[in-house]
Amino acid sequence: MVGAAEEAQLARLENQVDNGGGGAWEYLSLVRKLKVRRSDKVFKHGLSILNDHKQRSGLGGEEWTLYEQVAVAAMDCQCLDVAKDCIKALRKQFPESKRIGRLEAMFLEAKGLWADAEKAYSSLLEDNPLDQVIHKRRVAMAKDQGNFSVAIERLNKYLEIFMADQDAWRELAEIYVSLQLYKQAAFCYEELILSQPTVPLYHLAYADVLYTLGGLENYQLAKKYYASTIDLTGGKNTRALYGICLCSIAIGQLTKGRNKEDKDSFELQSLASTALEKEYKKRASDKLPLLAATLRNLKLQP
Amino acid sequence: MAEELVLDTAIRDWVLIPLSVVMVLIGVLRHFVAKLMRSNQTLDAKIVKEGQVIVRARNLRAGANFIPLKSFRARKVYYNNEENGLLHVPKGQAQNPQAQMFSDPNMAMDMMKKNLSMIIPQTLTFAWVNFFFSGFVAAKIPFPLTQRFRSMLQNGIDLSTVDVSYVSSRSWYFLNLFGLRGLFSLILGEENATDDAQRMMQMGGFGFDPSKSLSAEKDGLDIVQHEWALPKFEKRAENVLRKLVG
Repeated sequence: MVGAAEEAQLARLENQVDNGGGGAWEYLSLVRKLKVRRSDKVFKHGLSILNDHKQRSGLGGEEWTLYEQVAVAAMDCQCLDVAKDCIKALRKQFPESKRIGRLEAMFLEAKGLWADAEKAYSSLLEDNPLDQVIHKRRVAMAKDQGNFSVAIERLNKYLEIFMADQDAWRELAEIYVSLQLYKQAAFCYEELILSQPTVPLYHLAYADVLYTLGGLENYQLAKKYYASTIDLTGGKNTRALYGICLCSIAIGQLTKGRNKEDKDSFELQSLASTALEKEYKKRASDKLPLLAATLRNLKLQP
Repeated sequence: MAEELVLDTAIRDWVLIPLSVVMVLIGVLRHFVAKLMRSNQTLDAKIVKEGQVIVRARNLRAGANFIPLKSFRARKVYYNNEENGLLHVPKGQAQNPQAQMFSDPNMAMDMMKKNLSMIIPQTLTFAWVNFFFSGFVAAKIPFPLTQRFRSMLQNGIDLSTVDVSYVSSRSWYFLNLFGLRGLFSLILGEENATDDAQRMMQMGGFGFDPSKSLSAEKDGLDIVQHEWALPKFEKRAENVLRKLVG
């Protein structure tokens, strides 16, 4: 996770570098440290350092790290010529390196030579079966080819060993949602909530999945998670407000007012719709009639 | 003893300074030799997995109240059941760490390398110091000390009448051996191989047994009471919204 202070520093440096204020190397180091994806910027500024012989030799051993960084960024930007040059320079320096092997496999992948890349990755995995990056690359590759079942299979295999990897769980959850496998997605989101109980986005996504699954029990659950999202965001999340309304209506329809919890839930729902109205009034007053109509429709539904 | 000993400046030039310089150089050399001999540690999939299971189980324990009861129970069974739960260590399979250590030749090899890089240069330098510099009074520290320090500062000189603030050459060697760590961390970086104290710590923690922490985690998970936190959140959300609307 990128902290607020680091993010501010990153923004400041980015601004400075973009306006020609120098500090490109510091910026690139920070990008690398925070693992953020700024491929276009990294590509531009990194390449200008690499092309400047004096600056490049000033880096010492760090020069090769920069080569690697620029190579990955170039592949992300589809500037394959540059990536190829970088990899070639690295290969010349480190003829035996596995890390460069990884880059070469990624290069094949970037070119779209799936079979070759696959072969390269599997031979790298044979040497080191616990290389997380390669496992993830293979998942990404399967996903790239639209082969979701393989991607899921690989992710599951990966998670069997690295089961505390949140990013992988999140990726898996998103793939499941895109394939409409909501039960499985719900499990993944539960796992994410467990690992970081105070991130409202996970609560929201879990609630969405539960609502989509349907059924009285799931609606009630979804509503609770929408409520927790509201609590964690301080009521600023529009989607959660809508979610409360939708869930309340759905529960109302299913129980037909038999449930005694209804009284309380009505309170929350009316509060949520009022909050929505207020928010719309403040930010997008021209959409207000639309919102009013939507809310009315929801309530009027049989 | 009131009268001052006069130390020859040649002793400073030929004993004190060379000894210190040699100690520093040997430290640096040892660092690089250790770096050369360090084998690439290949991690075992089972060990990685056990570590990750523990992290995940800990997460479950900490965040149990944030997921529905049904999900919590499913997970608890998944971790703790007696047949194939992730945290369940079958009896008898828990390996004795000592036995494990000796059954893995790599591990023994590693230890031997570490010890070699530590012991051999130390014996050699000690022999060298003993041979060439024994019996010198090499330095004087500028403050008086009690008799207790005699064995520390005047190793190799069997004179009880010499003031304790004089340091013998062999003691100077020992002082350098243990006192140069700060200098090494300056010139070789924080993570230098000569850090003896750290190495001792590692030796102590060597018998780390993953199955023990697994079963500890299992017990911890067994006593967790699921108290669902979400119903409370509904009330809190109401309050938040009321504040927002009002």
